[in-house]
Amino acid sequence: MTAEEIRAHLDPIRDQFAEERSLVLPALKFAQGEKGHLTGDDVTEVAAATNLTPAYVESIASFYDRIYLDPVGKRVVSVCVSLSCMLNGSDELLEHLCSREGVSHEGGTSADGEITVQEAQCLGACDRAPCLQVDAEETMGPVTLSEADAVADRLRAEPQPRPVLR
Amino acid sequence: MPQLNSVYRHRAADRVLTTVDTYRLSGGYLALEKALGEMTADELLYVFHRSGLRGRGGAGFPMGRKASFLPKDAQLAKYLVCNADESEPGTFKDREIMELNPHQLIEGMVLAGYAIGAERGYIYIRGEYEYQAQILDAAIEAARESGYLGSDIAGSKVDFDLTLYRGAGAYICGEETGLLESLEGKRGQPRLKPPFPAVKGLWASPTLLNNVETLAALPPIVENGPDWYAGMGTEKSPGTKVFSISGHVTKPGNYEVVLGDTTLRELIFDMAGGLREGRSFKACWVGGSSVPVLAEQHLDTPLDYESLQEAGTFLGSGGCIVMDDSGCIVRASLRLASFYRHESCGKCTPCREGTGWMENVLQRMVDGEGRMEDFELMEALFGRIGGKCLCALADGAVAPISSAIRLFRKDFVRVVSEGSPLPQPMSPQLEMSGGRANA
Repeated sequence: MTAEEIRAHLDPIRDQFAEERSLVLPALKFAQGEKGHLTGDDVTEVAAATNLTPAYVESIASFYDRIYLDPVGKRVVSVCVSLSCMLNGSDELLEHLCSREGVSHEGGTSADGEITVQEAQCLGACDRAPCLQVDAEETMGPVTLSEADAVADRLRAEPQPRPVLR
Repeated sequence: MPQLNSVYRHRAADRVLTTVDTYRLSGGYLALEKALGEMTADELLYVFHRSGLRGRGGAGFPMGRKASFLPKDAQLAKYLVCNADESEPGTFKDREIMELNPHQLIEGMVLAGYAIGAERGYIYIRGEYEYQAQILDAAIEAARESGYLGSDIAGSKVDFDLTLYRGAGAYICGEETGLLESLEGKRGQPRLKPPFPAVKGLWASPTLLNNVETLAALPPIVENGPDWYAGMGTEKSPGTKVFSISGHVTKPGNYEVVLGDTTLRELIFDMAGGLREGRSFKACWVGGSSVPVLAEQHLDTPLDYESLQEAGTFLGSGGCIVMDDSGCIVRASLRLASFYRHESCGKCTPCREGTGWMENVLQRMVDGEGRMEDFELMEALFGRIGGKCLCALADGAVAPISSAIRLFRKDFVRVVSEGSPLPQPMSPQLEMSGGRANA
């Protein structure tokens, strides 16, 4: 993603903020939409587009769970493990997805690079526990183990949406 | 007996109100036209004050009083900020309002913005709510096209516009000053208070911050008058509150109750369908996860700020998590400790280090390696974390765990003295819906 493209995205919202610095998070999210994560070059381009230093931009990017500075799978599946979901079996759901995708029980990316499974803190769908979220799509639940299999199969069959919203 | 109520229009109408037309058919935007056309900003502020509405994000501070703290003679621009970063475990009430009834939030923000003299408002929504953010985006655009946002709103010469700002996954950005930092393009770490945001908030300007549920309550208050709202509930807890209830109940969901009118027992057993067959009640975190846990002897507590405080807990965000006797209080406490360790922003040492210590000690209890000295260690930790940090996250981390050890000491002692790991909690949902349990 080039600074030019990022600037073009920011221009229409620029006057909504008293200080340019506020644009850093919208810029990071926009730049991440290209590949689903940010490379070092992306960070530099975001910095150029927002008149900040790359070090500063990286310090912001690293603060947030949903900004990825390392490559992840084509789709990211976040399994909520907070209390309401835990009481409804989220640990089994996470374990099941991790073993199905062949990643450590704390999550990771499948060998074919298609799916990243990760733990998430409360997704705000406790009425649908246990729940999971694909990228930043609407959170789904309650998810049974066989439904989780179906979700993973669907994600493999589908092309990655553009832009990637995480 | 629980009363029915109608503060949130999608509940009264029992339908989705995402378009301007459907919202108007349910009485929407009449309060805006009335207030901007006939009332001065001060009169409107007085209406908020008189209604007794308290902040629904968790702290319960009177909304009208908070709004009146903004200096009247400030040279700087004033801002209104809506906290839609709903991340408190067990809480999903704001999600419902934004999903089904976004215009009531927008109308409430125009009213609050006019009352404090702000021309721009921000809605800070958590990154995980992208689906809800898109609904809000569309609603904001539609409200602008209908003349309810922008300049000269409804022919009143009042200007007010909204910006939706998306977060990217950080619980701490729901803390008001952490939110402001994030909105300013900084790491979302809380600020030292005072100065409070009312004096020095967004870009050091006077700023009013309110939760989604609080702001969305304003249109009906203006429409029906503050006395209508204050007439519901108790003197210290006027109006209605949406409780999100989840965990081991058969009908989890959002239930709006008149404060003081419904007991915890009625919420759990009558409204939320009660527990599964053959199960008994064990524990409940009534105001989100950052409040002291309650046990069976507290079930007849009325749901209002003062009664819950008397029972030793807080109404908080109204995110009520229920656990039956299949759950393990030590495991549940460990899960909460892990949450706060993960979400601590790292700015204050007692919180950054202390939440990790709490997690480690609870983890070794669950692993069957707990020691009796750990109880003393935990007490010492609580005293070193609580009240020693810039924001309430640390106190919120201590509250559910210290209270659990106090109320359910026998369970903790048994786990430590038997020295054997506890069984995994059951997974009712997976069983009920036909999934197979993992060995």
